[in-house]
Amino acid sequence: MATERKNDGIDVVPGEAVGVIAAQSIGEPGTQMVLRTFHSAGISSVITTKGLPRIIEIVDARKKPKAPTMEIALEKDIEKKYEKVRSVWRAIEEVKARQLISSFDEDLKNSTLVLHLDRDKLNFYETNGRLIASRLAKQEGVHVELVGPETIKVKFKGKTVEATRRAFINVLGATVIGVKGIMKANIQQEGESFYIATFGSNMEEVMAIEGVDKWNLYSNDIFEVMRVYGIEAARNLIARELATIIDEEGFTVSYRHLALVADAMTYDGTIRSVGRHGVAGRKESVFARAAYEETVKHIVNASVFGERDFLKGVAENILIGKQIGLGTGNVKLAMNKDDLKKVKGVRKKEEAKEKE
Amino acid sequence: MTSESTKCYVYLDGKAIGTVKDGKAFAEEVRRNRRLGVISAEINVAYLKKLSEVHINADRGRARKAYIIVEDGKSKLTPEILEKIKTKEIDFNYLLRKGIIEYLDAEEEENILVALSADKITPKTTHLEIEPASMFGLTFTANVFPETNSAGRLPLASNHMKQSQGLYAVNFNKRYDARAYLLFYPQVPIITSVGYRTLKLQRHPAGQNFVIALSTYYGYNMSDALVLNKAAVDRGLGRSAFFKTYADEERRYPGGQQDYFKTPAATTEGYLGEHAYAKLGEDGIIEPEMNIKESEVLIGKVSPPRFLEEQTSFGVGEEKSRDNSVTLRTGEEGVIDSVMVSETTGATKIVKIRVRSIKIPELGDKFASRHNQKGVVALVADPKDMPFTKEGIIPDIVLNPHSLPSRMTFGHLLDMLGGKSGSVAGKHFDGTAFSMNGHDRIDQYSRLLEEHGYDKFGDEYLYDGRSGKRYSARIYTGVAYFNKLTHMVSTKLQVRSRGPVQILTHQPTEGKPRKGGLRFGEMERDALVGYGASLLLKERMLDQSDKAPIWICRECGDIGYYDHIKNLPVCPTDSGNNLELIEISYAFKLFLDEIKSLHILPRINLKSEA
Repeated sequence: MATERKNDGIDVVPGEAVGVIAAQSIGEPGTQMVLRTFHSAGISSVITTKGLPRIIEIVDARKKPKAPTMEIALEKDIEKKYEKVRSVWRAIEEVKARQLISSFDEDLKNSTLVLHLDRDKLNFYETNGRLIASRLAKQEGVHVELVGPETIKVKFKGKTVEATRRAFINVLGATVIGVKGIMKANIQQEGESFYIATFGSNMEEVMAIEGVDKWNLYSNDIFEVMRVYGIEAARNLIARELATIIDEEGFTVSYRHLALVADAMTYDGTIRSVGRHGVAGRKESVFARAAYEETVKHIVNASVFGERDFLKGVAENILIGKQIGLGTGNVKLAMNKDDLKKVKGVRKKEEAKEKE
Repeated sequence: MTSESTKCYVYLDGKAIGTVKDGKAFAEEVRRNRRLGVISAEINVAYLKKLSEVHINADRGRARKAYIIVEDGKSKLTPEILEKIKTKEIDFNYLLRKGIIEYLDAEEEENILVALSADKITPKTTHLEIEPASMFGLTFTANVFPETNSAGRLPLASNHMKQSQGLYAVNFNKRYDARAYLLFYPQVPIITSVGYRTLKLQRHPAGQNFVIALSTYYGYNMSDALVLNKAAVDRGLGRSAFFKTYADEERRYPGGQQDYFKTPAATTEGYLGEHAYAKLGEDGIIEPEMNIKESEVLIGKVSPPRFLEEQTSFGVGEEKSRDNSVTLRTGEEGVIDSVMVSETTGATKIVKIRVRSIKIPELGDKFASRHNQKGVVALVADPKDMPFTKEGIIPDIVLNPHSLPSRMTFGHLLDMLGGKSGSVAGKHFDGTAFSMNGHDRIDQYSRLLEEHGYDKFGDEYLYDGRSGKRYSARIYTGVAYFNKLTHMVSTKLQVRSRGPVQILTHQPTEGKPRKGGLRFGEMERDALVGYGASLLLKERMLDQSDKAPIWICRECGDIGYYDHIKNLPVCPTDSGNNLELIEISYAFKLFLDEIKSLHILPRINLKSEA
């Protein structure tokens, strides 16, 4: 039969309430997770949000994750050579001007700032005064001059003292080595090859660094991944992050449920949170939205715009007391019972019945 | 750095106040002065070696415990002093003042070495435990053998203790408690403890010593179910009375009106029918020792109408009144135990009626031992079908042995053994925590059992009541103290297939007193949606809830009604008669009415279903 063939190789039967099943499959272990986060102190690896707080963070589609991290894979030809990996690492971890100086003299009267660089620190980061001066020169509106090998003079033509002061603070906080936003980076070993794990995320700039394998860059900042790699990557990241957390907690949830959540959050090309402001708040049906949260708002808006509810969804049909269109309610009789009378044999039979 | 490590910081209530050179000596100095009474006994001092810090605590909220001070390997509480306490020459406060006993907080306890008993004192010992059981609180020591049970079971066992029925007050006959439980034949447990005796619980006990056999019984005691002996139940085992007080008063209303206690006249609004008032006396109050069933009136009361009537031109006519009688709650029955009539300080008449009902153990009643072994009666077995010993003793309870190993309540086994040996020897035992070595304890019980011709470990050959054949295995039997808990089926059982509905929503009521249904909530709904049982879901949410046939106008989509005079459905909006009868939930109809009141007109566009 036609329907049989149609269902061949399909894992999910038509009319299956996949959303509800996904929600229950994730929700049940979620009740057992503890809200408390454990901090594994010690080990040099970076701190990450884990467990339920992280799941909530993902599902709420927070713009900035609490603990953004990256895992940076390196090009095949250097990933096994520690020294080369180390030079990539140098280019990644952010060092601010403030971290390299021993002292600074601020002269607000003449709008000058003199930075005295620390030689030990310069040596440690394998850099010199000229390199730093050239990085500082990128700051807006400042004139940078290398006075001595370890002395940099910064001039700013500010209208007010406050503006000058603000500019100097910016100079001190300016990134002179590495990538902005990468607060910490560690070289990690996996087998023979190395990779770099970071605290802080900045994909745009990291992928531009020589030696970084841009096809194997991982960040847990979902919005950044969407910006850099697109919505499909963000969708995969959502599902993968959820899967890792649930796995770490020791629960087993089928990937298809998490993928469904990720799909529901991203199918329109942007990342929508699960809840009032996202997935649930954008349902088509007025009743379904009103039944969830902010009832009055949705009803009033519906009346203002003359909205129409076609009673297709589950929530609406339960509300008015109709059979829902899922499961056994998914199927309908294809034949009109009035058409049945047109068939000759049936007609005669029915007439005979009536006569009786 | 080096100079700092020799310094020892001193903190008072968490605030650094200075440094000392030798923290340990400093702490000792403070302690010595405290024992001498130079500084307050409420001060505690601790030297933390790892941090090289001295913490002095004098703030409130520290839990402290008393210890006997030991100096030079000798307890300061000498036999002479003990003798003086016995003759009441000195009291406990004397010991505190003289530096014989001191209170220590959690931080200072880190600095001491405590001996559990005087014979275990070594030269390093600084303190002696007054009583080892005092490491538990008073409530935990009220239980026996707490040290042999799993730690997590102790708070749960204490919880059962407060749910037990017993002789809660000796003046129960004079009291009008809102609800009270009274055990008929309360017994003092064979094994008691210091805590039990300190609380004087033996003067108002809440349990009975049950004869227990550890055995299965034809599957009737699976999963914490209990099999009770009917013969024992008939003789009063676990029998109790349940008292409930109903109260009412003659309230006065503004405008000189007031309530009256009396049998309402048949013309009264809300009259419940002649039968309901049949048991009331002349004064409208029920007579004592009257049997009463649900929804029968206890106190007849008439109140003035809720709203003031219009004055008729003939002056004040006959005053209308409203029935406001107190009836027995649904699902309850009993006997009127006592009636009290009195007056409040505001000179309004009040009536309190205590209803008594006797609760004989039945299927579903809850019992618990003192070791968090709770169970529900699953069978009140005929004694002739129950196992018996060679002496013909039939156990009161057949307890499933599977409830013991996984819960690790070894105290339950000890309780049974001790209870058995105590009952054959006519002795009471002490089961205070750490009061005796477990081995010695079992020896003591075993010796007594052997002396009286029983197996020393309490095992017994039992005979099957049905066949009379002896079981091949020996079965552990004993006597343990059991509590009947306040959770009884007769106060909880309820069923509903049809019944009252709420006026506003037409949905079934909730709760036992209103003959309510069980809520089919959101999560239950989700389960049916997830399973795809759409028709079952519709049946729950509509057919068995608030189904309402409603006329909908085919032209304008508004709700209409049926005109029974013209025999036509009418749409009030366009006065047409082209309406369709559809079934929707009443809650939805109510919702449409409510948004109509917000000046929003919802329309239902009908479409014929193919």
